[in-house]
Amino acid sequence: MTRALLWSRGAVSLIFVLALWQAVALSGAVPAKFFPGIPAIIDGARQMIATGELPRNEILTLGRALTGLVLASVAGIALALLSDASPFFDRGFRTISSLLQPVPPAAVVPMAIFALGLGIKLYIFIILLVSIWGPYLNGAAALRAVPREQILTGRMLGLSPAAIMFRIKLPAAMPQIFAGIRYAAAVSLIAVVVAEMLAGRDGIGFLLVRKSFSIRIPETYALMFVTMFNGVLLALLVNLARRVLTGWHVRQTGASK
Amino acid sequence: MNDTTILEAVDLRKAYGHGLQRMPILDGIDFRVRKGDFVSVVGPSGCGKTTLLMALAGLSQPDTGEVRFRGQPVTQPPQGLAVVFQDYSRSLFPWKTARENVIFAMRDTAQKTRQERRDRADELLAAVGLKEFAQKYPWQLSGGMQQRVAIARGLASESDLLLLDEPLAAVDAQTRADMQDLILELAQRFDQTCLLVTHDVDEAVYMADKVIVLSRRPTSVATEIPVDLGKRRDQLATREQPGFLHARHEVMERIRSYRSQMAG
Ligand SMILES: Nc1ncnc2c1ncn2[C@@H]1O[C@H](COP(=O)(O)OP(=O)(O)O)[C@@H](O)[C@H]1O
Ligand SMILES: [Mg+2]
Repeated sequence: MTRALLWSRGAVSLIFVLALWQAVALSGAVPAKFFPGIPAIIDGARQMIATGELPRNEILTLGRALTGLVLASVAGIALALLSDASPFFDRGFRTISSLLQPVPPAAVVPMAIFALGLGIKLYIFIILLVSIWGPYLNGAAALRAVPREQILTGRMLGLSPAAIMFRIKLPAAMPQIFAGIRYAAAVSLIAVVVAEMLAGRDGIGFLLVRKSFSIRIPETYALMFVTMFNGVLLALLVNLARRVLTGWHVRQTGASK
Repeated sequence: MNDTTILEAVDLRKAYGHGLQRMPILDGIDFRVRKGDFVSVVGPSGCGKTTLLMALAGLSQPDTGEVRFRGQPVTQPPQGLAVVFQDYSRSLFPWKTARENVIFAMRDTAQKTRQERRDRADELLAAVGLKEFAQKYPWQLSGGMQQRVAIARGLASESDLLLLDEPLAAVDAQTRADMQDLILELAQRFDQTCLLVTHDVDEAVYMADKVIVLSRRPTSVATEIPVDLGKRRDQLATREQPGFLHARHEVMERIRSYRSQMAG
């Protein structure tokens, strides 16, 4: 499948969704007050841009999500490497991870606010808590699955265990790690917006709550579309990093399709 | 010890498992490889050829006995020893091109600069007939081509001894004959001492100056058969020579005597 075709398919489905939306709005099936058409929503967005509140909060939210995602990825990979190097650590951390993994971010936010305040620390903590598992679990599994012959090849060449880890195992595991990071990107955005809603000071999540409480319907919908756009943007960034760091695998899987 | 001996296996024993599960695999293996020789080790599937090769390479320790490489006891992979593993498709690095895979093996070799390493890699790839494929990734190559990259990588480390673990077991018959000749040609051209492990009696005799015949499990050396056919071999002529037929006959007979022992 060529890239141009994929892009045009994406554009077509976007247009389809917008047209469907507009059709529902015009049909009057839902009161127009609660389900505005596309032009009204665009108008709402324009107003928030004019006042500066949309760009300001959007930068905050994206910055938090991106910082958190990068840190969660690095930490997840580091923990996966540790798990691979030390069976003792692996067993211990596996237990911890099975306890922490099911915790919903919303349940942690109130206590985290007490402990960490309302600044970037809060958001990084929340994102780490929910996003680290993709890179960690995928990484640990992929490191375990590196073909024995590749590791033995390194040993025959006299490579140290650290060199085998970083020059053989890590590159071999990178494609699967990226699958985990892609998942982490989606989760980190959800976590940020939820945390912003609860923390109630700034960010797209906060703005969303404030607009809906003051019944600014078109603005609320516009913000919902912004969160959607953020998801696409983050996915694109992750994909870009994937192409730079594991271009060989992108081409390999692309070629086999 | 003879001063041309490069590798020596002394009473190697190894078992897998413990207690009732304990299964002796190697049961006292003794042999020598002389510098410049091409030695084949032939034995049936599952007799412990890979187990033996891992011990020779220093990748695993025998339970008792000793491997000596250039006179020194082997306790970890020694410098100057290279291995081409049985499963070539798993031993190449998929994130490296053919050229980069070959360059990876150049540690402590004569080539120091990037350009020197690149030139050497291209020379080796050309020698295995992959001149045009230096920039391809392993997954863009056929099985036979991947094995040739693995062989080029084995040569790249400029080892004193190259161990080859059934390098041709997974390729088709025609490719196999071509690859046998290629390996022999490379061994001569790069003055590479080789130890080839195989389950194929014809291949063992065709390739070697000396065939080491393994018994059934628990495995020891049944006999050693010298093959006096000179260094030049030819797929048709060599296989018809009395020397070839005689050596082949002896190997087969040795293997058959084990089989009838089992039956009796
Ligand atoms: N790590 C291991 N643990 C237990 N048994 C093994 C292990 N590796 C090999 N074996 C067994 O040892 C025997 C010899 O294996 P191997 O050396 O691979 O034989 P070959 O290479 O001659 O086919 C086989 O029966 C195999 O199942
Ligand atoms: Mg084997």
